[in-house]
Amino acid sequence: MKKILIISFALLPLLFACGDPQENVYLYEVNTVDVEQSGVDKNNPKADLEFISLVYADLFGGTVSQSDIDVMIIAFTALGDKQLITDIIIRNMLNSPQANVPSDAQMRNDIEKFIEDTYLKFYIREPNAYEKWELQGMIEGDSELIPEMIYYAFLTSDEYRYF
Amino acid sequence: MKRRSFLKHTAALTAGTLSAPYVLPSGRLFAKTMNRKVNHVVFCLFAGGVRNIDAIHQDLGNLMPSMLTGVKSTADGITTLPTSPHPTILEQEGTLFPEFRYKDGPTGHYNGHTVALTGVYTDTGLNLRANPEFPTIFEYYLKHNSPSVTSKNAWWVSNALGPYPALNYSRYPGYGAMYGANHIAPTYLLNPAIADMLGQPKPFQFHEEEKVAKVRNFLNKNFGKDALLDNVGIVNTEDDARQIRAFIQDMYTKGQSGLLNNPLGLPSNQGNNDIYNILFAEEIIKEFQPELLVVNMTDVDACHQNFTNYMVNLQKADYAVAHLWNLIQSTPGMADDTVLIMVPEHGRNLDSNTVRDNFGRFGVDHTGDPTSREIFSLILGPQGVINKNLKVGTANNPVGETIDLVPTVANLLGFDLDIPTGLLNGRVLNEIYV
Repeated sequence: MKKILIISFALLPLLFACGDPQENVYLYEVNTVDVEQSGVDKNNPKADLEFISLVYADLFGGTVSQSDIDVMIIAFTALGDKQLITDIIIRNMLNSPQANVPSDAQMRNDIEKFIEDTYLKFYIREPNAYEKWELQGMIEGDSELIPEMIYYAFLTSDEYRYF
Repeated sequence: MKRRSFLKHTAALTAGTLSAPYVLPSGRLFAKTMNRKVNHVVFCLFAGGVRNIDAIHQDLGNLMPSMLTGVKSTADGITTLPTSPHPTILEQEGTLFPEFRYKDGPTGHYNGHTVALTGVYTDTGLNLRANPEFPTIFEYYLKHNSPSVTSKNAWWVSNALGPYPALNYSRYPGYGAMYGANHIAPTYLLNPAIADMLGQPKPFQFHEEEKVAKVRNFLNKNFGKDALLDNVGIVNTEDDARQIRAFIQDMYTKGQSGLLNNPLGLPSNQGNNDIYNILFAEEIIKEFQPELLVVNMTDVDACHQNFTNYMVNLQKADYAVAHLWNLIQSTPGMADDTVLIMVPEHGRNLDSNTVRDNFGRFGVDHTGDPTSREIFSLILGPQGVINKNLKVGTANNPVGETIDLVPTVANLLGFDLDIPTGLLNGRVLNEIYV
Protein backbone atom coordinates (compact mmCIF):
# COMPACT_ATOMS: atom_id res chain seq x y z
CA MET A 1 0.00 0.00 0.00
CA LYS A 2 2.85 2.31 0.95
CA LYS A 3 4.50 1.54 -2.39
CA ILE A 4 1.30 2.37 -4.26
CA LEU A 5 1.05 5.73 -2.52
CA ILE A 6 4.67 6.62 -3.35
CA ILE A 7 4.08 5.78 -7.02
CA SER A 8 0.86 7.78 -7.06
CA PHE A 9 2.60 10.91 -5.68
CA ALA A 10 5.45 10.41 -8.11
CA LEU A 11 3.02 10.29 -11.04
CA LEU A 12 0.98 13.25 -9.84
CA PRO A 13 3.14 15.91 -11.56
CA LEU A 14 3.05 13.87 -14.75
CA LEU A 15 -0.71 13.85 -14.55
CA PHE A 16 -0.80 17.67 -14.63
CA ALA A 17 2.03 17.90 -17.11
CA CYS A 18 0.18 15.74 -19.57
CA GLY A 19 -2.81 18.11 -19.85
CA ASP A 20 -3.63 20.25 -22.94
CA PRO A 21 -0.32 21.99 -23.83
CA GLN A 22 -2.25 25.08 -25.08
CA GLU A 23 -3.31 25.86 -21.53
CA ASN A 24 0.30 26.24 -20.39
CA VAL A 25 1.44 28.75 -23.02
CA TYR A 26 1.71 32.17 -21.43
CA LEU A 27 2.16 35.17 -23.74
CA TYR A 28 3.35 38.37 -22.10
CA GLU A 29 2.57 41.18 -24.60
CA VAL A 30 0.56 44.37 -24.91
CA ASN A 31 -3.01 44.12 -26.05
CA THR A 32 -3.74 45.57 -29.47
CA VAL A 33 -5.27 49.01 -29.02
CA ASP A 34 -6.19 51.87 -31.31
CA VAL A 35 -3.62 54.71 -31.22
CA GLU A 36 -6.07 57.43 -32.07
CA GLN A 37 -5.99 60.52 -29.98
CA SER A 38 -8.99 62.67 -29.42
CA GLY A 39 -8.73 66.35 -30.31
CA VAL A 40 -8.95 67.49 -26.70
CA ASP A 41 -5.82 65.52 -25.80
CA LYS A 42 -3.64 67.31 -28.33
CA ASN A 43 -1.67 69.84 -26.35
CA ASN A 44 1.74 69.96 -27.98
CA PRO A 45 2.15 72.37 -30.88
CA LYS A 46 4.27 71.14 -33.77
CA ALA A 47 7.45 73.07 -34.48
CA ASP A 48 7.33 74.87 -37.82
CA LEU A 49 9.61 72.57 -39.75
CA GLU A 50 8.15 69.51 -38.05
CA PHE A 51 4.79 70.78 -39.22
CA ILE A 52 5.93 71.26 -42.80
CA SER A 53 7.59 67.83 -42.88
CA LEU A 54 4.28 66.31 -41.80
CA VAL A 55 2.35 68.21 -44.45
CA TYR A 56 4.79 66.82 -46.99
CA ALA A 57 4.44 63.29 -45.66
CA ASP A 58 0.63 63.53 -45.58
CA LEU A 59 0.38 64.85 -49.11
CA PHE A 60 3.16 62.98 -50.84
CA GLY A 61 3.48 59.87 -48.69
CA GLY A 62 7.24 60.19 -48.30
CA THR A 63 9.96 62.04 -46.46
CA VAL A 64 10.89 65.53 -47.47
CA SER A 65 14.45 65.79 -48.83
CA GLN A 66 17.17 67.68 -46.98
CA SER A 67 17.57 70.13 -49.85
CA ASP A 68 13.87 70.97 -49.73
CA ILE A 69 14.09 71.40 -45.97
CA ASP A 70 17.01 73.80 -46.44
CA VAL A 71 14.99 75.89 -48.86
CA MET A 72 12.02 75.90 -46.50
CA ILE A 73 14.20 76.98 -43.56
CA ILE A 74 15.30 79.99 -45.59
CA ALA A 75 11.72 80.77 -46.59
CA PHE A 76 10.57 80.50 -42.99
CA THR A 77 13.27 82.83 -41.75
CA ALA A 78 12.84 85.32 -44.55
CA LEU A 79 9.21 86.19 -43.82
CA GLY A 80 7.98 87.45 -40.46
CA ASP A 81 4.43 86.13 -40.69
CA LYS A 82 4.98 82.39 -40.13
CA GLN A 83 1.35 81.58 -40.70
CA LEU A 84 1.50 83.25 -44.10
CA ILE A 85 4.67 81.49 -45.22
CA THR A 86 3.21 78.19 -44.01
CA ASP A 87 0.12 78.88 -46.07
CA ILE A 88 2.24 79.64 -49.15
CA ILE A 89 4.16 76.39 -48.71
CA ILE A 90 0.96 74.36 -48.28
CA ARG A 91 -0.62 75.89 -51.37
CA ASN A 92 2.45 75.02 -53.40
CA MET A 93 2.42 71.43 -52.17
CA LEU A 94 -1.29 71.15 -52.89
CA ASN A 95 -0.68 72.37 -56.43
CA SER A 96 1.90 69.68 -57.12
CA PRO A 97 0.74 66.94 -59.52
CA GLN A 98 2.36 64.44 -57.13
CA ALA A 99 0.10 65.39 -54.21
CA ASN A 100 -2.16 62.52 -53.17
CA VAL A 101 -5.54 64.23 -53.28
CA PRO A 102 -8.64 62.22 -54.19
CA SER A 103 -10.68 63.38 -57.16
CA ASP A 104 -14.03 65.02 -56.66
CA ALA A 105 -15.74 61.93 -58.14
CA GLN A 106 -13.96 59.66 -55.67
CA MET A 107 -15.03 61.83 -52.79
CA ARG A 108 -18.66 62.06 -53.85
CA ASN A 109 -18.82 58.36 -54.61
CA ASP A 110 -18.42 57.62 -50.90
CA ILE A 111 -18.49 60.81 -48.85
CA GLU A 112 -18.57 59.04 -45.50
CA LYS A 113 -15.41 57.09 -46.30
CA PHE A 114 -13.72 60.24 -47.59
CA ILE A 115 -14.46 62.02 -44.31
CA GLU A 116 -13.21 59.13 -42.20
CA ASP A 117 -10.05 58.81 -44.28
CA THR A 118 -9.40 62.55 -44.12
CA TYR A 119 -9.75 62.69 -40.33
CA LEU A 120 -7.48 59.70 -39.95
CA LYS A 121 -4.94 61.10 -42.38
CA PHE A 122 -4.63 64.56 -40.87
CA TYR A 123 -5.90 64.27 -37.30
CA ILE A 124 -4.96 60.63 -36.63
CA ARG A 125 -8.43 59.96 -35.28
CA GLU A 126 -11.89 59.08 -36.47
CA PRO A 127 -14.49 61.81 -36.71
CA ASN A 128 -17.27 61.72 -34.16
CA ALA A 129 -20.86 61.39 -35.33
CA TYR A 130 -21.46 65.14 -35.27
CA GLU A 131 -18.31 65.95 -37.27
CA LYS A 132 -19.22 63.30 -39.81
CA TRP A 133 -22.77 64.54 -40.15
CA GLU A 134 -21.83 68.22 -40.40
CA LEU A 135 -19.02 67.80 -42.93
CA GLN A 136 -21.11 65.43 -45.00
CA GLY A 137 -23.80 68.10 -45.09
CA MET A 138 -21.31 70.69 -46.29
CA ILE A 139 -20.05 68.46 -49.09
CA GLU A 140 -23.48 67.34 -50.22
CA GLY A 141 -24.81 70.89 -50.09
CA ASP A 142 -22.05 72.43 -52.18
CA SER A 143 -21.02 70.86 -55.46
CA GLU A 144 -18.10 73.32 -55.74
CA LEU A 145 -16.51 72.14 -52.51
CA ILE A 146 -13.74 69.92 -53.87
CA PRO A 147 -11.30 67.65 -52.00
CA GLU A 148 -8.39 70.09 -52.44
CA MET A 149 -10.33 72.74 -50.55
CA ILE A 150 -11.15 70.33 -47.75
CA TYR A 151 -7.53 69.18 -47.55
CA TYR A 152 -6.45 72.82 -47.49
CA ALA A 153 -8.90 73.53 -44.65
CA PHE A 154 -7.60 70.56 -42.61
CA LEU A 155 -3.95 71.46 -43.21
CA THR A 156 -4.52 75.04 -42.08
CA SER A 157 -6.76 74.18 -39.14
CA ASP A 158 -5.78 74.58 -35.49
CA GLU A 159 -5.96 70.87 -34.66
CA TYR A 160 -3.41 70.03 -37.36
CA ARG A 161 -0.90 72.33 -35.60
CA TYR A 162 -0.91 70.02 -32.56
CA PHE A 163 0.23 66.56 -31.59
CA MET B 1 -6.67 89.48 -25.24
CA LYS B 2 -6.33 86.57 -27.62
CA ARG B 3 -4.29 87.50 -30.64
CA ARG B 4 -6.94 86.41 -33.07
CA SER B 5 -9.53 88.50 -31.25
CA PHE B 6 -7.10 91.38 -31.20
CA LEU B 7 -6.57 91.13 -34.94
CA LYS B 8 -10.27 91.00 -35.63
CA HIS B 9 -10.77 93.94 -33.32
CA THR B 10 -7.99 95.93 -34.98
CA ALA B 11 -9.24 95.15 -38.46
CA ALA B 12 -12.78 96.10 -37.52
CA LEU B 13 -11.58 99.27 -35.87
CA THR B 14 -9.51 100.21 -38.89
CA ALA B 15 -12.31 99.41 -41.31
CA GLY B 16 -14.77 101.34 -39.19
CA THR B 17 -12.46 104.28 -38.96
CA LEU B 18 -11.87 104.31 -42.69
CA SER B 19 -15.51 104.07 -43.55
CA ALA B 20 -16.77 106.52 -40.97
CA PRO B 21 -14.20 109.12 -40.03
CA TYR B 22 -15.35 111.54 -37.40
CA VAL B 23 -14.77 115.27 -37.44
CA LEU B 24 -13.54 116.93 -34.28
CA PRO B 25 -14.88 120.30 -33.15
CA SER B 26 -11.63 121.77 -34.43
CA GLY B 27 -12.63 120.59 -37.89
CA ARG B 28 -9.78 118.05 -38.11
CA LEU B 29 -9.99 114.32 -38.40
CA PHE B 30 -8.47 111.89 -35.89
CA ALA B 31 -7.40 113.71 -32.75
CA LYS B 32 -4.00 112.14 -32.18
CA THR B 33 -2.74 112.50 -35.73
CA MET B 34 -2.88 116.28 -35.36
CA ASN B 35 0.76 116.26 -34.33
CA ARG B 36 1.97 114.42 -37.36
CA LYS B 37 4.55 116.19 -39.48
CA VAL B 38 4.25 113.68 -42.31
CA ASN B 39 2.29 110.49 -42.88
CA HIS B 40 5.18 108.29 -44.03
CA VAL B 41 8.70 107.65 -42.84
CA VAL B 42 11.26 105.57 -44.71
CA PHE B 43 14.30 104.81 -42.61
CA CYS B 44 17.31 103.57 -44.54
CA LEU B 45 20.12 102.02 -42.56
CA PHE B 46 23.01 102.96 -44.81
CA ALA B 47 24.85 100.24 -43.00
CA GLY B 48 27.81 97.93 -43.20
CA GLY B 49 30.13 100.43 -41.52
CA VAL B 50 30.74 103.69 -43.37
CA ARG B 51 33.70 105.80 -42.32
CA ASN B 52 33.06 109.52 -42.18
CA ILE B 53 36.54 110.16 -43.60
CA ASP B 54 35.47 108.38 -46.79
CA ALA B 55 31.87 109.60 -46.90
CA ILE B 56 31.59 113.15 -45.54
CA HIS B 57 35.22 114.26 -45.62
CA GLN B 58 35.72 112.80 -49.09
CA ASP B 59 39.40 111.92 -48.63
CA LEU B 60 39.30 109.85 -51.82
CA GLY B 61 36.97 112.19 -53.66
CA ASN B 62 33.20 112.16 -53.50
CA LEU B 63 32.11 108.53 -53.42
CA MET B 64 28.49 109.54 -52.81
CA PRO B 65 27.76 112.01 -55.62
CA SER B 66 23.98 111.43 -55.54
CA MET B 67 23.78 112.39 -51.87
CA LEU B 68 26.57 114.89 -51.32
CA THR B 69 28.06 117.85 -53.13
CA GLY B 70 31.73 117.55 -54.01
CA VAL B 71 34.03 116.52 -56.82
CA LYS B 72 33.30 112.97 -57.88
CA SER B 73 35.98 110.44 -57.00
CA THR B 74 38.18 109.10 -59.78
CA ALA B 75 40.05 106.57 -57.66
CA ASP B 76 41.42 103.53 -59.48
CA GLY B 77 39.19 100.51 -59.52
CA ILE B 78 35.84 102.16 -58.85
CA THR B 79 32.97 101.55 -61.20
CA THR B 80 31.39 104.24 -63.28
CA LEU B 81 27.71 104.22 -62.47
CA PRO B 82 25.01 106.05 -64.41
CA THR B 83 24.28 109.58 -63.25
CA SER B 84 22.07 109.99 -60.21
CA PRO B 85 18.52 108.73 -60.68
CA HIS B 86 17.29 111.84 -58.86
CA PRO B 87 17.53 115.29 -60.49
CA THR B 88 19.03 117.07 -57.49
CA ILE B 89 21.73 116.17 -55.00
CA LEU B 90 19.92 114.77 -51.96
CA GLU B 91 21.84 116.96 -49.51
CA GLN B 92 20.05 119.94 -51.04
CA GLU B 93 16.64 118.46 -50.22
CA GLY B 94 17.15 118.00 -46.52
CA THR B 95 19.14 118.42 -43.34
CA LEU B 96 22.58 116.87 -43.05
CA PHE B 97 24.14 116.02 -39.72
CA PRO B 98 27.72 115.52 -40.93
CA GLU B 99 29.05 114.68 -37.47
CA PHE B 100 26.47 112.32 -36.04
CA ARG B 101 27.63 109.91 -33.36
CA TYR B 102 27.16 106.28 -32.38
CA LYS B 103 28.33 107.04 -28.88
CA ASP B 104 28.15 103.89 -26.89
CA GLY B 105 28.34 100.11 -27.03
CA PRO B 106 30.11 97.69 -29.36
CA THR B 107 30.52 98.80 -32.99
CA GLY B 108 29.01 95.59 -34.35
CA HIS B 109 26.56 95.54 -37.25
CA TYR B 110 23.75 93.93 -35.30
CA ASN B 111 24.38 96.16 -32.29
CA GLY B 112 24.19 99.20 -34.55
CA HIS B 113 20.96 98.02 -36.17
CA THR B 114 19.45 97.30 -32.76
CA VAL B 115 20.34 100.75 -31.44
CA ALA B 116 18.93 102.46 -34.52
CA LEU B 117 15.64 100.56 -34.24
CA THR B 118 15.18 100.66 -30.47
CA GLY B 119 16.76 104.00 -29.57
CA VAL B 120 18.69 102.31 -26.75
CA TYR B 121 22.43 101.57 -26.76
CA THR B 122 23.42 97.93 -26.41
CA ASP B 123 26.19 96.33 -24.44
CA THR B 124 28.33 93.27 -25.03
CA GLY B 125 25.61 91.05 -23.60
CA LEU B 126 23.32 91.51 -26.61
CA ASN B 127 21.52 88.22 -27.24
CA LEU B 128 21.70 87.31 -30.92
CA ARG B 129 19.19 84.50 -30.53
CA ALA B 130 16.37 86.57 -29.12
CA ASN B 131 14.33 89.58 -30.10
CA PRO B 132 15.67 92.88 -28.77
CA GLU B 133 15.28 93.72 -25.11
CA PHE B 134 13.63 97.10 -25.69
CA PRO B 135 10.68 97.98 -27.94
CA THR B 136 11.41 98.72 -31.57
CA ILE B 137 10.17 101.73 -33.46
CA PHE B 138 7.64 99.41 -35.15
CA GLU B 139 6.04 98.49 -31.83
CA TYR B 140 5.90 102.09 -30.65
CA TYR B 141 4.20 102.97 -33.92
CA LEU B 142 1.72 100.09 -34.00
CA LYS B 143 0.87 100.37 -30.31
CA HIS B 144 0.63 104.13 -29.93
CA ASN B 145 -0.42 105.39 -33.32
CA SER B 146 -4.01 106.55 -33.50
CA PRO B 147 -6.10 105.47 -35.27
CA SER B 148 -4.91 101.87 -34.97
CA VAL B 149 -3.38 100.42 -38.07
CA THR B 150 -2.30 96.91 -39.00
CA SER B 151 1.19 95.55 -39.60
CA LYS B 152 0.76 96.07 -43.33
CA ASN B 153 1.75 99.66 -42.58
CA ALA B 154 5.05 98.75 -40.96
CA TRP B 155 7.84 96.89 -42.78
CA TRP B 156 11.33 95.75 -41.92
CA VAL B 157 13.14 94.92 -45.16
CA SER B 158 16.43 93.25 -44.26
CA ASN B 159 19.16 92.22 -46.66
CA ALA B 160 20.38 89.47 -44.35
CA LEU B 161 19.11 86.62 -42.18
CA GLY B 162 20.92 85.49 -39.03
CA PRO B 163 19.68 87.66 -36.16
CA TYR B 164 18.28 90.45 -38.35
CA PRO B 165 14.73 89.08 -38.83
CA ALA B 166 14.26 89.37 -35.05
CA LEU B 167 14.38 93.16 -35.21
CA ASN B 168 10.70 93.44 -36.16
CA TYR B 169 9.60 93.29 -32.53
CA SER B 170 11.05 93.06 -29.04
CA ARG B 171 10.51 90.89 -26.01
CA TYR B 172 9.65 93.90 -23.86
CA PRO B 173 6.57 93.36 -21.65
CA GLY B 174 3.51 95.05 -23.07
CA TYR B 175 4.93 95.21 -26.59
CA GLY B 176 6.14 92.24 -28.67
CA ALA B 177 4.80 90.35 -31.68
CA MET B 178 1.31 91.78 -31.40
CA TYR B 179 2.80 95.13 -32.45
CA GLY B 180 5.51 93.74 -34.72
CA ALA B 181 6.29 94.82 -38.26
CA ASN B 182 6.11 92.63 -41.31
CA HIS B 183 9.63 91.40 -41.79
CA ILE B 184 10.85 90.31 -45.20
CA ALA B 185 14.32 89.40 -46.42
CA PRO B 186 13.47 89.63 -50.11
CA THR B 187 16.83 88.66 -51.56
CA TYR B 188 16.36 85.31 -49.80
CA LEU B 189 12.61 84.79 -50.02
CA LEU B 190 12.46 85.75 -53.66
CA ASN B 191 15.63 84.07 -54.89
CA PRO B 192 15.29 81.61 -57.79
CA ALA B 193 15.69 78.40 -55.74
CA ILE B 194 12.83 79.39 -53.45
CA ALA B 195 10.79 80.76 -56.33
CA ASP B 196 10.98 77.32 -57.95
CA MET B 197 9.56 75.76 -54.81
CA LEU B 198 7.07 78.43 -53.75
CA GLY B 199 6.22 80.16 -57.00
CA GLN B 200 3.37 77.89 -58.07
CA PRO B 201 0.73 78.01 -55.32
CA LYS B 202 -2.72 76.51 -55.68
CA PRO B 203 -4.74 79.43 -56.98
CA PHE B 204 -7.95 79.57 -54.96
CA GLN B 205 -10.44 82.22 -55.99
CA PHE B 206 -11.92 84.48 -53.34
CA HIS B 207 -15.23 82.58 -53.23
CA GLU B 208 -13.28 79.33 -52.95
CA GLU B 209 -11.27 80.73 -50.05
CA GLU B 210 -14.55 81.53 -48.35
CA LYS B 211 -15.65 77.91 -48.71
CA VAL B 212 -12.32 76.78 -47.26
CA ALA B 213 -12.75 79.24 -44.39
CA LYS B 214 -16.20 77.81 -43.66
CA VAL B 215 -14.82 74.27 -43.37
CA ARG B 216 -11.81 75.49 -41.37
CA ASN B 217 -14.00 77.43 -38.96
CA PHE B 218 -16.06 74.32 -38.37
CA LEU B 219 -12.92 72.28 -37.68
CA ASN B 220 -11.48 74.94 -35.38
CA LYS B 221 -14.71 75.30 -33.46
CA ASN B 222 -14.66 71.58 -32.68
CA PHE B 223 -11.03 71.68 -31.59
CA GLY B 224 -11.50 74.60 -29.26
CA LYS B 225 -7.86 75.72 -28.93
CA ASP B 226 -6.42 78.75 -30.69
CA ALA B 227 -3.24 77.65 -32.44
CA LEU B 228 -2.18 81.24 -32.86
CA LEU B 229 -1.58 81.55 -29.15
CA ASP B 230 1.31 79.15 -29.47
CA ASN B 231 2.56 80.56 -32.73
CA VAL B 232 5.54 82.85 -32.38
CA GLY B 233 5.71 85.86 -34.63
CA ILE B 234 3.46 88.46 -36.13
CA VAL B 235 0.14 87.55 -37.71
CA ASN B 236 -1.54 89.66 -40.37
CA THR B 237 -5.27 90.05 -40.71
CA GLU B 238 -6.80 87.80 -43.37
CA ASP B 239 -7.22 90.69 -45.80
CA ASP B 240 -3.65 91.89 -45.31
CA ALA B 241 -2.29 88.36 -45.60
CA ARG B 242 -4.16 87.94 -48.88
CA GLN B 243 -2.61 91.12 -50.26
CA ILE B 244 0.89 90.21 -49.07
CA ARG B 245 0.58 86.71 -50.52
CA ALA B 246 -0.45 88.18 -53.86
CA PHE B 247 2.46 90.62 -53.68
CA ILE B 248 4.97 87.81 -53.09
CA GLN B 249 3.46 85.83 -55.95
CA ASP B 250 3.75 88.89 -58.18
CA MET B 251 7.42 89.22 -57.26
CA TYR B 252 8.00 85.56 -58.17
CA THR B 253 6.28 86.13 -61.48
CA LYS B 254 8.30 89.27 -62.20
CA GLY B 255 11.52 87.48 -61.30
CA GLN B 256 10.71 84.47 -63.46
CA SER B 257 9.81 86.67 -66.41
CA GLY B 258 13.08 88.64 -66.20
CA LEU B 259 11.49 91.92 -65.14
CA LEU B 260 13.96 92.30 -62.28
CA ASN B 261 17.07 91.71 -64.37
CA ASN B 262 18.05 95.38 -64.45
CA PRO B 263 17.71 96.39 -60.81
CA LEU B 264 17.14 100.11 -60.32
CA GLY B 265 18.00 100.63 -63.98
CA LEU B 266 21.50 99.17 -63.62
CA PRO B 267 23.00 96.39 -65.72
CA SER B 268 22.45 93.03 -64.01
CA ASN B 269 26.18 92.63 -63.27
CA GLN B 270 26.06 95.86 -61.22
CA GLY B 271 23.29 94.62 -58.93
CA ASN B 272 24.58 93.63 -55.52
CA ASN B 273 22.58 92.55 -52.48
CA ASP B 274 21.99 96.17 -51.42
CA ILE B 275 20.68 97.19 -54.83
CA TYR B 276 18.21 94.29 -54.86
CA ASN B 277 17.11 94.98 -51.29
CA ILE B 278 16.31 98.58 -52.20
CA LEU B 279 14.55 97.36 -55.34
CA PHE B 280 12.22 95.17 -53.29
CA ALA B 281 11.70 97.94 -50.73
CA GLU B 282 10.55 100.09 -53.64
CA GLU B 283 8.14 97.36 -54.73
CA ILE B 284 6.70 97.29 -51.20
CA ILE B 285 6.33 101.06 -51.28
CA LYS B 286 4.50 100.88 -54.62
CA GLU B 287 2.17 98.15 -53.41
CA PHE B 288 1.44 99.15 -49.81
CA GLN B 289 2.50 102.80 -49.34
CA PRO B 290 3.52 101.90 -45.78
CA GLU B 291 3.59 104.57 -43.10
CA LEU B 292 6.81 103.19 -41.67
CA LEU B 293 9.38 101.22 -43.63
CA VAL B 294 12.91 100.40 -42.55
CA VAL B 295 15.37 99.01 -45.10
CA ASN B 296 19.07 98.30 -44.76
CA MET B 297 22.18 97.93 -46.89
CA THR B 298 25.43 96.34 -45.71
CA ASP B 299 27.56 95.55 -48.76
CA VAL B 300 30.14 98.22 -47.88
CA ASP B 301 31.32 95.81 -45.21
CA ALA B 302 33.49 94.29 -47.94
CA CYS B 303 35.93 96.84 -46.50
CA HIS B 304 37.37 94.24 -44.12
CA GLN B 305 38.99 92.43 -47.04
CA ASN B 306 38.75 94.75 -50.03
CA PHE B 307 38.84 98.49 -49.68
CA THR B 308 38.22 99.07 -53.38
CA ASN B 309 35.03 97.01 -53.25
CA TYR B 310 34.03 99.11 -50.24
CA MET B 311 34.31 102.22 -52.39
CA VAL B 312 32.40 100.58 -55.24
CA ASN B 313 29.61 99.48 -52.89
CA LEU B 314 29.50 102.91 -51.27
CA GLN B 315 28.81 104.37 -54.71
CA LYS B 316 26.08 101.79 -55.29
CA ALA B 317 24.47 102.50 -51.93
CA ASP B 318 24.52 106.20 -52.80
CA TYR B 319 22.90 105.48 -56.16
CA ALA B 320 20.30 103.21 -54.51
CA VAL B 321 19.06 105.77 -51.97
CA ALA B 322 18.77 108.41 -54.69
CA HIS B 323 16.65 105.94 -56.67
CA LEU B 324 14.59 105.23 -53.56
CA TRP B 325 13.94 108.92 -52.90
CA ASN B 326 13.03 109.44 -56.53
CA LEU B 327 10.58 106.53 -56.36
CA ILE B 328 9.01 107.92 -53.20
CA GLN B 329 8.54 111.28 -54.87
CA SER B 330 6.77 109.64 -57.80
CA THR B 331 4.50 107.41 -55.68
CA PRO B 332 0.99 108.76 -55.21
CA GLY B 333 0.18 109.01 -51.52
CA MET B 334 3.83 109.24 -50.50
CA ALA B 335 5.19 112.06 -52.65
CA ASP B 336 5.62 115.27 -50.62
CA ASP B 337 4.36 113.44 -47.52
CA THR B 338 7.38 111.28 -46.66
CA VAL B 339 10.55 111.76 -44.67
CA LEU B 340 13.56 109.66 -45.66
CA ILE B 341 16.22 109.14 -43.00
CA MET B 342 19.64 107.76 -43.89
CA VAL B 343 22.27 106.76 -41.35
CA PRO B 344 25.11 104.24 -41.12
CA GLU B 345 24.86 101.95 -38.09
CA HIS B 346 28.47 102.80 -37.16
CA GLY B 347 31.71 103.92 -38.78
CA ARG B 348 35.08 102.23 -39.23
CA ASN B 349 38.47 102.48 -37.58
CA LEU B 350 40.98 105.17 -38.39
CA ASP B 351 43.74 102.63 -38.92
CA SER B 352 43.75 99.97 -41.61
CA ASN B 353 44.15 96.26 -41.09
CA THR B 354 46.77 94.21 -42.95
CA VAL B 355 44.60 92.84 -45.77
CA ARG B 356 45.59 94.45 -49.08
CA ASP B 357 43.39 94.39 -52.19
CA ASN B 358 44.44 94.26 -55.86
CA PHE B 359 44.84 98.03 -55.96
CA GLY B 360 47.19 98.04 -52.99
CA ARG B 361 44.62 99.44 -50.57
CA PHE B 362 44.34 98.03 -47.07
CA GLY B 363 41.11 96.93 -45.48
CA VAL B 364 39.55 98.64 -42.48
CA ASP B 365 37.73 97.02 -39.53
CA HIS B 366 35.39 98.53 -36.94
CA THR B 367 36.52 97.73 -33.44
CA GLY B 368 35.26 100.66 -31.43
CA ASP B 369 37.97 103.31 -31.81
CA PRO B 370 36.72 106.96 -31.77
CA THR B 371 36.60 107.11 -35.59
CA SER B 372 34.31 104.09 -35.75
CA ARG B 373 31.75 106.08 -33.75
CA GLU B 374 31.73 108.97 -36.24
CA ILE B 375 28.86 108.75 -38.69
CA PHE B 376 26.45 111.05 -40.53
CA SER B 377 22.71 111.32 -40.96
CA LEU B 378 20.81 112.86 -43.82
CA ILE B 379 17.10 113.56 -43.39
CA LEU B 380 14.98 114.51 -46.39
CA GLY B 381 11.38 115.64 -46.43
CA PRO B 382 8.69 117.84 -47.86
CA GLN B 383 9.01 121.54 -48.51
CA GLY B 384 7.77 123.51 -45.54
CA VAL B 385 8.36 120.65 -43.11
CA ILE B 386 12.05 119.71 -43.32
CA ASN B 387 14.86 122.25 -43.61
CA LYS B 388 16.56 122.14 -46.98
CA ASN B 389 20.25 122.37 -47.72
CA LEU B 390 21.10 122.71 -44.03
CA LYS B 391 24.13 121.31 -42.23
CA VAL B 392 23.88 120.89 -38.47
CA GLY B 393 27.00 120.26 -36.41
CA THR B 394 30.74 120.24 -37.01
CA ALA B 395 33.65 118.03 -36.01
CA ASN B 396 34.26 120.30 -33.05
CA ASN B 397 30.58 120.47 -32.21
CA PRO B 398 28.96 117.19 -33.21
CA VAL B 399 25.17 117.20 -33.14
CA GLY B 400 22.87 114.20 -33.01
CA GLU B 401 23.36 110.56 -32.17
CA THR B 402 21.86 107.25 -33.15
CA ILE B 403 19.49 107.04 -30.20
CA ASP B 404 17.83 110.27 -31.34
CA LEU B 405 16.35 108.65 -34.43
CA VAL B 406 13.57 106.63 -32.77
CA PRO B 407 12.20 109.70 -30.93
CA THR B 408 12.48 111.67 -34.16
CA VAL B 409 10.53 109.09 -36.16
CA ALA B 410 7.91 108.98 -33.39
CA ASN B 411 7.66 112.76 -33.49
CA LEU B 412 7.36 112.83 -37.29
CA LEU B 413 4.45 110.36 -37.11
CA GLY B 414 2.90 112.09 -34.12
CA PHE B 415 2.97 109.48 -31.35
CA ASP B 416 6.13 110.44 -29.45
CA LEU B 417 4.20 111.81 -26.49
CA ASP B 418 2.38 108.51 -26.07
CA ILE B 419 5.59 106.54 -25.47
CA PRO B 420 5.98 105.81 -21.74
CA THR B 421 8.67 107.93 -20.12
CA GLY B 422 11.92 106.24 -19.25
CA LEU B 423 12.07 103.97 -22.27
CA LEU B 424 14.01 106.33 -24.54
CA ASN B 425 17.05 108.43 -23.72
CA GLY B 426 17.42 110.22 -27.04
CA ARG B 427 15.79 113.47 -28.13
CA VAL B 428 13.81 114.65 -31.13
CA LEU B 429 16.10 116.18 -33.74
CA ASN B 430 14.14 119.42 -33.89
CA GLU B 431 16.85 121.02 -36.04
CA ILE B 432 15.31 119.30 -39.06
CA TYR B 433 12.04 121.21 -38.84
CA VAL B 434 11.33 124.42 -40.68
